[in-house]
Formats: sequence, structure tokens, C-alpha cells
Amino acid sequence: MTVRLVVLQFGIGFLFCALVFGFWYFQIVQNAKFAELAENNHQRTIALRAPRGIIFDRNNNVLVVNRSSFTISIVREHTKDLDRTVQMLAQVLGLDEQEVRDIVNKHKREPSYRPIVVVEDATLAQVAAVQARRLDTELPDVLVQEIPTRRYPTNEMAAHLIGYVGEASEAQVASDGLESGAIVGQSGIEKIYNALLMGQDGARHVVVNSMGREIRPLSEDRYVEGRRVQLTIDVDLQKAAEDAFTASGFNGAAVVLEPKTGEVLAFTSRPAYDPNVFAAGIDRVTWASLNTDELRPLNDRAIQGRYSPGSTFKMAVGLAGLEEGVITPDFHVSCGGGANFYGRFFKCWKKGGHGSVDLRHAIEQSCDVYFYTVANMLGVDKINKWATDLGLGVMTGIDLPNEVQGLVPSEQWKQERFHEKWYAGETISVGIGQGAVSVTPISMAVYMATLANGGTRVTPHVLKAVDDGSGSGWKPVPPPPPPVKIDVTPEKMQAIRDGLWMVVNAGGTGGRARIQGKDVAGKTGTAQVISNEKRAASRSGKDYRDNGWFVFFAPRDNPTIAGVVFLEHGIHGPNAASLAHHILDTYFAKEDGRPLPPPPTHDDLRLDYSDPYARRITTGTDQ
Amino acid sequence: MFERRLYHHLDWLLLGAVLTLCMISVAMIYSTTVSSAASKLPWTQTYAIVLGLGLFAICLTVDYRVLTDKSHFIYLGLLALLLYVLLFGTVAGGARRWISLKVFNLQPSEFAKIGVALVLAKFFGENRRGSPTTGDLLIGGGLTVLPLVLVAREPDLGTAVTLAPIFLGIAYIAGMRMRILGILVLSAAVLAPIAWKFALKDYQKSRISTFLDPSQDAKGAGYQQIQARITVGSGGLRGKGFTKGTQGQLRFLPVAHNDFIFSVLAEEQGFVGVLFVLSLYMTVIWRSLEAARLAKDKLGAYLVMGLMASFTFQVIYNVTMSAGLAPVKGLTLPLMSYGGSSMMATLASFGLILNVRMRRFTN
Repeated sequence: MTVRLVVLQFGIGFLFCALVFGFWYFQIVQNAKFAELAENNHQRTIALRAPRGIIFDRNNNVLVVNRSSFTISIVREHTKDLDRTVQMLAQVLGLDEQEVRDIVNKHKREPSYRPIVVVEDATLAQVAAVQARRLDTELPDVLVQEIPTRRYPTNEMAAHLIGYVGEASEAQVASDGLESGAIVGQSGIEKIYNALLMGQDGARHVVVNSMGREIRPLSEDRYVEGRRVQLTIDVDLQKAAEDAFTASGFNGAAVVLEPKTGEVLAFTSRPAYDPNVFAAGIDRVTWASLNTDELRPLNDRAIQGRYSPGSTFKMAVGLAGLEEGVITPDFHVSCGGGANFYGRFFKCWKKGGHGSVDLRHAIEQSCDVYFYTVANMLGVDKINKWATDLGLGVMTGIDLPNEVQGLVPSEQWKQERFHEKWYAGETISVGIGQGAVSVTPISMAVYMATLANGGTRVTPHVLKAVDDGSGSGWKPVPPPPPPVKIDVTPEKMQAIRDGLWMVVNAGGTGGRARIQGKDVAGKTGTAQVISNEKRAASRSGKDYRDNGWFVFFAPRDNPTIAGVVFLEHGIHGPNAASLAHHILDTYFAKEDGRPLPPPPTHDDLRLDYSDPYARRITTGTDQ
Repeated sequence: MFERRLYHHLDWLLLGAVLTLCMISVAMIYSTTVSSAASKLPWTQTYAIVLGLGLFAICLTVDYRVLTDKSHFIYLGLLALLLYVLLFGTVAGGARRWISLKVFNLQPSEFAKIGVALVLAKFFGENRRGSPTTGDLLIGGGLTVLPLVLVAREPDLGTAVTLAPIFLGIAYIAGMRMRILGILVLSAAVLAPIAWKFALKDYQKSRISTFLDPSQDAKGAGYQQIQARITVGSGGLRGKGFTKGTQGQLRFLPVAHNDFIFSVLAEEQGFVGVLFVLSLYMTVIWRSLEAARLAKDKLGAYLVMGLMASFTFQVIYNVTMSAGLAPVKGLTLPLMSYGGSSMMATLASFGLILNVRMRRFTN
């Protein structure tokens, strides 16, 4: 018995030694690993989202701010029964359980400490309901966070310019080194200056218990707020442009520039959307309706729409004629309501013809025959050269994403595009801005600024200054690429500008844009959307009414404003001039210190709804 | 009955180690419950220790031979209590283990260990043959299995299992042939899969299967095992300090004041604390086995052996489990874990053990 007891004693002693060895191995050898695991166990890092930078107009009026919103998320780190949490949360929030489950499943592969946002911009009732359950420790793994969210107080105003924000896509996360779930600019200023506006998120470190409930804070890294930026936009002028469109009921785009600098004073595209719906995560239904809308409200017509310029192209042809020496301002053409070129009869918009006109009157009256003739004398390549120099058919380089390029045809272009020779007959319709010519509204604004500047082409831009947060206030943003100065003879340019002045102030088509004492210079354009034959054949209910243009600068001598109003299916160029009048009136009222004109009514605009198509089938094309 | 000279033969070292463990127990229970609503638990434990010391004194004073003589009555009484519990006991946590005594709940299964040790000591001790025959072993085994089944039916598999070492320990020093021991171990190995299939409840199965691979169910049953390792491992050499452990304090470890009290000790007092407490336990066990060796008669030796076998098994199993090295079972650490009945029964056992040692020179 004694032997057996001694054996037992030593056997137990051996077991104790083994235990001591086990504890030594865990507590001493592997201590670092387990210490880290214990830290991760009880510490949680909660991201503090940095508010995006506030956006101001050129006079420091607020355009975009931030508001507080609440998100409700699930943090799975300490969740014991995810199904139960999902079920309970859906019930508490009044959501469809399957929907909540889908959201959770979508993020299943992410680290479990990262919150899965179930509701963005939760209502106060939802927040209260969850908070009550959290206190009962029923939903300890549900997190309610107050986060700054974008607010666009002016709603649809300048929506395309300012853009909107949204959760970073997987591609953005991969390419820009963003955190999954980060809110980034997805269009407009919000996108292109995202790096400035975004700021840097902070973090709060807290101690949590095994249920995931917060026990006490440990430390906090402050976020860095996004930079405040100042735009070149003048909110009064922007509003004038928006009001004019609203009163007209037309869609389209308007861009107003300061011709000397290229600063964009107003920029609108219609129809617009409300960027607020994106701010806290857009719901599927709204997103689908924005995308399937036939009027394509998300499309930024000012920089992404390509349209025939019609008669507004004539100044480029005229200047090319003058500079290439094929005409002088006194060059006269006799218009009898049309002319023959290469065996085909080309009509002038005025059935009876303009009689004998020089360049100034040809611009004033928008005589088609005059510009058919000049175009024919120039050939397409010379027109291409001058139109390009003036800013058409090229990108303007505006600091907005996804600008598209217009087109001014050339022999080389046709060869490359269609592998065909250019026929001289095709040049004739190019002379009045039809045929293959297409332009974006923004490029038309640059074109007018170039004419206003006497040949200096500037790059339009929207960002004026940035506040880097150092306390030194606005720091002006270095100007975009230096302007291109094209070599034009002032006297020749003056002839064009005289013609434009006459359009508005003499007997021309732009009389509606006239402002007493301000010498507005401008040009209307009415461009067909589709050929007469096709329109006649079409049976769909689609809108094929002509597009209307009005391009302008003012005052004629030493201009301080230039721009474009484009009316999609606006029927007549003069209708666009009516809208431009309100913009110009507002601009000069502000300059002169007069009270700003009230928003126009529909009747104030005196729009002409007579469809020239009916007349055109029998007569000319354009005015 | 209590003679003055016996006083000189009291094992003061053993008693000191037991009392030190009791104090550490109260301190650790305080630490694990200080931040929760259960902050009355250290007091409850203290009362249990005081009551336990009363039982200890009684068990020390009465000659153990008087107790073993009456062991069949004690044994039958305990069986009756266990039956009573099964039929009318207080239910908590899905198990019927307690008898409500107004002031506290009594858990008769803890006292069953003493009853079984007494009856087996008497049965094997009065055996005149050199070593127990197969028949003896069958009877002894039967005496053990009866209460074991009753306790297991509560259900309280953890406590039930602690009855088995009593029989094995006593049979071992009574001279059971090693071949039979081998057969017992072998049949256990054969029976295990059968038990797995028919006897074990699902939660018991999952505890064992996750022990083999804790990560397969890191949030469920494997969770406790992983957390136990983290708790112990993060303690380091000197520990995080009294009441400063994150794992225990923030309840990453369940029932920290109970099954996992040793893990929390390891976390807060580090390897140093572990060494200290383990050496206390080693002292207690070593000195008790000394008492068995020195006992005047087989009866005394068997009694000590029976009590110590259960105690030692529980200590080794619980400490192994506390380090995440054994499947999680509801097996407490005697003298440390929270639990009044266990504390009282354990202190009573040490009364008996000291009793045997103290009376080694008497007739």
C-alpha cells in the first residue's frame, strides 16, 4: 500500500509539473500573442466620420453644408446569434427582415469589428426604439452613430455642377485607397475635388464588454474636417439662370463666364435632380427612376450634351473668312432666298431672301446664303481651324468630371472616321452650323468668351479658392492652363462683334436680350434635331422640336460677361434670348447696384411656340 | 473525546494551506464580481467558509472510526437526500440540484462524496483478504454507481463523475490488481463511444467536439475555450493586477467566479500567482496522501484516499480546463470556486483527513 501511495504522490506531482509547464507556455512564451488577443477582445474602434468641406459661392454665400444624421449598424464582433439580432432589429425598426438580412450578407466578408450599416439617416423614432433595446442589453451589438451628412440647402440648384456624394464603389475603394463604406463625391465638384472636400476620419477607442456594450472611452483621434472651398459661382446669377429655366418650362443648359478669367459665374443643366436624395444613401426606387427617366436628369447637358450649333456657328465661319483673306467686312452677297452649290439648291431661312448684305448685316439677319458662300470659298479645313481656335470641337478643360468633346468636321476627320473623301458640297451646310458640326454648351460659352476677349481663349473653371484650415483664410487657387491667344486682326474681330451687337440692338433676331445702355452682343440659333424627312416619317411621340440657342457677351466693348443659353426643343433661338435677358438683367442690376429683377413669370418670357417645322417643309431651314 | 495531546499531531501546514486557499477564494470572487450585481457573493462565500469550518471542527473531533461505523446510515441518508432532490429539488439553470433551506440552497451531491468515501473505506477496510476480489470490486463499484446515477440524472454530470475517482482511488491502494485497473480503463475506452452515442446530451457532445477543434465553433461552445486561453495567456508573468483583468471583468469568460476562477487568477495574478496557488494545492494533496500513508489502519488510509482522489481529480481537471486545455465541464475548483455546498463539504473532508492523521497514534 505504501508503494502504491508513493507512486500516486509522485504521479500527481508529475501532473502538477505538467500543468505548471502549460501555464508557463501560455503565460510566458505566448504572452504577447494572447495579450494582443485580449486587447482586441475588449477594445473597439469606432470611426468618427469627418464632415466634408463646406462649399461657398464667390461672395461667401453657403452652397453646401453638413447636417447630422443617424446610422444604425450591426457590429458582429461579439454577436452570439446574428439571426436573432437581425430579426429583432428588423422588428424594432419596422423593416423587412429579408432586406436587413441581404444587407448583412452583402458585407459578410468584411472584418467583424466593422459596423454594417443597416439604416442610413434613421428617423428619431427608429433611434429611440433601438436605444431603448440597447439599454436592456437586448441589442448590445447594434450601434447608433451620429454622423455628418451632406445637405444641399438650395436643392436642385446647380445640381450638376456641385454633384452628389455616395458610398465608395468597390472600384473606388481599390483605386483610391479608400475605406469600404467611405462617402465620396460621385459627380460634379464633389467628385473632382473630393480629395480637398473629404477630410480625414477620426476614431474613438472604447472598452466594450463581452456583449459588445460600450463600458468606457479610452481615447479619441479627432477627425480633420474637409477643406472649405469657394467656387467662382455667383449665387444670384445662378439663381437667375435657374429661375429663367423654371419660368420657361424648357429643359437645356446655361453657362455664364467671366470672359477675362474663365471663371464660371453660373452653370445649370435642366432637368436637374435633388442631390439631397443621395446624401444619406439613395434608395433603389429613386435611383432607378432617375436612371430610367427619358429626360435623363442625371445627364449634365452643359458639358455632356452635344448639339448642332446652327446659326451660332456663323461667327466662326465669318472670322475664318476674314482672317484667311477670302472676304472683307464689306464683302457683299446677294441673297434671293437660296443659292445653288454643286448642283444642289440650298435654301435661306428667309423665303424672300435678304437682298445684298455685307458681313455685319449677314450676322444681324443670320443670312444663310452669305455663309454658304463664305464656307464654300474657305473649304472645310479652314473653318475647322478657326472654329477649333475659338474653342469649338475641343474640350474646354473645365474642372468638372466627364466633359465630352464636340465635333467640327475636317477632311482628315472624315477620312479617319468613314474612310471617305470630303465632298465640297458638304462644306455648305457646315457654314450654317449644321451637318456633322456638334458642340457642347460649355464650349459655346468659351467660344463667346474668346470672341469677347478679341481672341484670347480661356479655360473655364469653377474653383476659386480653398481654405486650408490654417486660419489664413481663402487661398486663391492657381489659374488653370494659361489662355491661348489666337492671332486676329482687331478690325476684323470688330466686324463680327458689330454684327453681334446688331443682332440684339438693331433689327436682328436677338432683340429680346436687349438691355438699355449695356450694348449686349449675341446670336440666336435654331437647330434641327432631326431632318425634315425623318421627322415626317416618325410616328413616335418623341419630341423633335428644334433646339434653341442664344450666345452672348456684354457689353460689346470691353465685355465682362459671356455665356450661352441652350433650350432643348426650345423651338426658336429667340426663346433662349428671352431667358438670357433675365440673366443679363440680373448681372447688370447687381453691377449697377440696382435691386435685382424678380424671377420672371412665364408670360414675361413671351415665348414663341409656333413650330417652324410646318413652314419649313415648304421653305427654308434656319434663322 | 478530544484529547489535548491530539492537538500536537494536527497537520498545521495542511490546515494553513487550506485556509490560505479559502482566503484567496474570497478575494478572487470579490474581484470577479465587483463590477456586477452579484457583489454579495464574497460574503456568501465567507459565510460558507465559516459554516464549513464548523463542520471541519466536528469532523475533526469525532473519531473517524465512529463515523465509518455509522457509514451505512450516512450513505443511506445521502441516497435518500439525492432521491429527494431528484423529485422535489429546486430547479436552476435547467437542473434540479438543490434543496432550498431558506437561508441558502444545499447541494447534496457535494456531500455524497463524503458518504461514498466513508462507506467504501469501511467496506474495503474491513476486508480481511490481502487484496479485493472481483466480487468486492463489483460491490464497491455498485455502491459508487448508485449515487453517481442519481446525481447524473439531476443532471449534474460534472459532480457525478467526481464520485468515480473515490472508488478507483480506494480500490487502487486496497491492492486491486493492476490488470483489473487496466481492464477498467480499457472498458472505459470502449464504452466512451457508446456513451457518446446514447448517454450524452447534445450540449455535452458539442463541448467535447469543440475541445478538439475550438475554432470550428468560435462563437459557441469553442468560445469559452478560446477565451480561457486568452485570459490565461494575457496574464503574463505578473498579471494585470487585482480587479484589473479585462477578460474576467468584461465577462468574456462566463461564470468567472465559478468554473473559471482559476483563469481569472492567472489573468490578474500572472504566472507568479498560478505557481503560488498550485503549490498550495500540491501541498494540500501531498500532505493528505502523507496522512493516508501514516494512517494507523487501512480504514483511515482508505478514507483519506477516497476523499483526496475526488479532490485531486477535480483540481487537476479544473486547472487544465481553466487554461483551455480540457473540454469545458461544469466542474468547480474545490476551495476556490464560488459555491457554499462545495466549500462546506470540502472543509468537512479535510476535517476527516486531519482526523485520520491526528489519531495515528491512538487506539
